[in-house]
Amino acid sequence: MPRRGANTASYVYGVLRTPARGKGKGIDGRPLRVVSANGIAALASDVPEGPLEAGRDELLTHARVLERALEGGAVLPMQFGVVLPDDDAIRAELLAAHREQLEAQLDEMEGKVEMNVKALYSEETVLREVLEESREIAGLRAAIQDQPEDATYYERIRLGELIAGAMAAKREEDEQMVISYLAPHAVAIQAGAPIHERMVANVSLLLESDREGPFEDALEELGAEQHPRIAFKLTGPLPPHSFVELSVGA
Amino acid sequence: MASAMQQHRGGTQPYRGGSGYVARSSSSGLYDVLELILDKGLVIDVFVRVSLIGIEILTIDARIVIASVDTYLRFAEAVNRLDLMSTETQGLPELMDGITEGGASSKTKGALQGAREALFGDDEDEDEDSGSSSRRKSSSSSKSTRRRSSSSRKKS
Repeated sequence: MPRRGANTASYVYGVLRTPARGKGKGIDGRPLRVVSANGIAALASDVPEGPLEAGRDELLTHARVLERALEGGAVLPMQFGVVLPDDDAIRAELLAAHREQLEAQLDEMEGKVEMNVKALYSEETVLREVLEESREIAGLRAAIQDQPEDATYYERIRLGELIAGAMAAKREEDEQMVISYLAPHAVAIQAGAPIHERMVANVSLLLESDREGPFEDALEELGAEQHPRIAFKLTGPLPPHSFVELSVGA
Repeated sequence: MASAMQQHRGGTQPYRGGSGYVARSSSSGLYDVLELILDKGLVIDVFVRVSLIGIEILTIDARIVIASVDTYLRFAEAVNRLDLMSTETQGLPELMDGITEGGASSKTKGALQGAREALFGDDEDEDEDSGSSSRRKSSSSSKSTRRRSSSSRKKS
């Protein structure tokens, strides 16, 4: 496979300050390099020109390269799949064209990390709550309980729809509860969309690194309080994916 | 409840301090960061993001999944299975296992129990019904759902 000239392009992982560390391997095992311009730099590696495979390996590599970079200081993560024609284009179109915004965000993100909290209802507990709180749902359940499934197809869809609706209302309340419990520890909060049908909250929090301990203690407290109704999962420290942005055309 | 806790703590997942109510994502967790990597972060220009191959397997629009006939039927099934006399929380150990370490939890579960817990695990654990149900998200037409539901319900 040819590796030179027009056949390769530059994949960008993130932006950081120089002097930057760019050791290790990127996507497809290609070596990482630092492309710098006047105090800021991009972490990059070669990829073949053209469509990019977005498989498990590529996605994980993107995440890991950034997590490793985070250990050395602030890094602004790119979304997966940003590819420029070559390193000159990285300097011109990314670093030079957006210098002010990038520098401002690097300052802002210094010493901060993103923590992602996912909260998931215990199915049985939440279904019991829904049954107790809605006469309509309990009634419909009782009405079709002992009937053959084929005879109650549409009733079962209706029942499930009512349950999903009741859970959505519950979810809104509980998401707010989770957010207000954790908010005192965070500089900023982003509530993401649920990615599971029983997901209560999918929240990213921007923390000062030195608040990680108290934050985790608070989350443990909340986990104990909500046990066994809601289960929590914590991911981080991560680079601040949810808290960086470039306004296009600025 | 005590036994649920013990089982939870007895898992292989290490906890950083605390009493162990919160699962930590292991370093190989892709699903835990997937939506962050794909949807968040800097982009310079829409045209610079190259076209991605194979991404449709991984992106899941939960809003579509949640509002699907398939999900409704599973909720209905789960609520029908509930033993209203019982106050035990039987589903919990499995849930905690699933949330902690997706692959480790392949005990016998109902379709609902297992559904998409792969999402919460740390690898693409496509075993049994969970993998196929999360991948089937786009085929939520009532036709395919109905076919599946009548064939998969034979046992009862």
